Amino acid sequence: MAVTEPKKIIIDTDPGIDDAMAIFVALQSPEVEVIGLTTIYGNVYTTLATRNALHLLEVAGRTDIPVAEGSHVTITKGTKLRIADFVHGADGLGNQNFPPPKGKPIEQSAAAFLVEQANLYPGKVTVVALGPLTNIALATQLEPAFAKNIGQIVLLGGAFAVNGNVNPAAEANIFGDPDAADIVFTSGADILGVGINVTHQVVLTDADREKLARSNGKFAQYLCKILDVYFSYHRDAYSTKGVYLHDPTTLLAAVNPSLITYTEGVVRVQTNGITRGLTILYNKQKRFGEVTEWSDKPTVKVAVTVDAPAVVNLIMERLMDS
Amino acid sequence: MTNTHGVVLDGEREGVLDCQLKREKLIIDTDPGIDDTIAILMAFQTPELEVLGLTTIFGNVTTEDATRNALLLCEIAGHPSLPVAEGSPEPLKGGRPRVADFIHGSDGLGNIFLPPPERKQIEKSASEFLVDMVSKYPGEVSILALGPLTNLALAIKRDSSFAKKVKRVVVLGGAFFALGNVNPAAEANIYGDPEAADVVFTSGANITVVGINITTQLQFTDDDLLQLRQSKGKHAQLISDTCKFYRDWHVKSDGVHGIFLHDPVSFVALVRPDLFTYKKGVVRVETQGICVGHTLMDQGLKNWNSSNPWTGYSPVEVAWTVKVDEVLDYIRSRLMKS
Repeated sequence: MAVTEPKKIIIDTDPGIDDAMAIFVALQSPEVEVIGLTTIYGNVYTTLATRNALHLLEVAGRTDIPVAEGSHVTITKGTKLRIADFVHGADGLGNQNFPPPKGKPIEQSAAAFLVEQANLYPGKVTVVALGPLTNIALATQLEPAFAKNIGQIVLLGGAFAVNGNVNPAAEANIFGDPDAADIVFTSGADILGVGINVTHQVVLTDADREKLARSNGKFAQYLCKILDVYFSYHRDAYSTKGVYLHDPTTLLAAVNPSLITYTEGVVRVQTNGITRGLTILYNKQKRFGEVTEWSDKPTVKVAVTVDAPAVVNLIMERLMDS
Repeated sequence: MTNTHGVVLDGEREGVLDCQLKREKLIIDTDPGIDDTIAILMAFQTPELEVLGLTTIFGNVTTEDATRNALLLCEIAGHPSLPVAEGSPEPLKGGRPRVADFIHGSDGLGNIFLPPPERKQIEKSASEFLVDMVSKYPGEVSILALGPLTNLALAIKRDSSFAKKVKRVVVLGGAFFALGNVNPAAEANIYGDPEAADVVFTSGANITVVGINITTQLQFTDDDLLQLRQSKGKHAQLISDTCKFYRDWHVKSDGVHGIFLHDPVSFVALVRPDLFTYKKGVVRVETQGICVGHTLMDQGLKNWNSSNPWTGYSPVEVAWTVKVDEVLDYIRSRLMKS
């Protein structure tokens, strides 16, 4: 049997309840080696994201993994950030008021860390981006060869041919920094975009949560504590008795690409107006009479379908077996 | 929904009786245009309808050429005295309109270069005519809008009660959760005047929107076109002649050996609404940036926790599915009937 080297991944994250789940699943996945976490605003402000990232690694006993703090502002230096504390709780982790972490982030910025790792292992590092894409865009600006050196960017973002979740036009991660998202999507890197059109198919039900609670898994136990806030948000917003597994699904798409199918095309992001944050995929099936804003841009992969039962099973298994 | 006007399927006699009782008053706002031509000629052949007039707009051609073609079509259809009111030569924000002559030919009718019409448009502008007619017959006039929505927006601006007085507006426009046809984000009619489209969609009028996500499901194939040419349809020859240029563009642009029936399908949505299903939701139009002209509908799947640009507007009806075969049969029977 051929022994394949685990895929090196960096998780760019704004933990976040489903981020916490994704990080734990990653740490339980033998197919990947988490070589760092980088932090970003989104579910919480960046400072808190860093604190939560350190905390989660301490919970997991993996303080060997470096955390690099990311940008506190958008790529256009915007400071009016949309923070989803009403989804994840004021502390980002279900209002559990965990004690502060003992560890500290490394000196390097997230963008510098991403550039360094991509240079160190050209073509070998996968970035799993679970928040707004500011750090990734900054990395492309810091190092023009970043798009070439990075192995793949698997990102949670966008709403392809469906309504958004911030407003009818926009999905939260893209809405968080539309300019950065447009830079990343058109950077020429090998990108797999996973939008809410796909992640909305992957639901953790009440029954699943009870199963997690009954298991002895360390991560399962931890997550059950923080999931309440996330469940009640979904009940209010979507009238569902389950929660969407946005971040864990995206993580698993990086771990095991066969769980999804994808199409290829050019993605552009609207950066102003009432549909700011709208993602439009042009799959090149139709030719246009005129040059468009989608012409001559690099293509990316965009997830189209997902084996939702397999994804939920895998997540449950790995969390209970911890 | 009562469907008093769409009951005539095959019985001519029944149709005559029905139309004597209540013919639906209709104004067609149009930029003819090859598929406009088909829709207009179908309307004239529909006894349940009383066409009050045509209003013209830029789009497939300039407004001036649209007026000329509208007058010609009235003459050809045997309605030489029907009012044609010329619409705005430019979108609300001004500037030279985008004209799709590469699709419809420089004359808008597939480069068949008919002689000029014998008469002229009426003195009133399109928006004046629209306001006058819906004021004269409040709650009775339907509008079929086949081009950019400038004239309707101007009518709404001219008369604040216009939206309430118009019976129904059926709009061909937009691409809902689908690619556009001008670029990936935008459909041509909405792209032609995004500001106007946003005014109309948020006006509170009773609106049905038929987007290209619906209309591109229906094609006349080369076989259909041949059958049409060989038919005894009253205007079959003219339509066949105009369609040649249009068909060749479809081959080049979409690899489609045939033509899309955007305007005729929208016409069917007016007379046979039962052949479609709909979703209701607020529709807004992007007026800035790379997605200018994008139509975005809130499907109402989520309770937003704060207000957004869709909040507080009246929903419109967006065509969601279409009975393809039945609509095609309806169009075939209308066009091939002598």
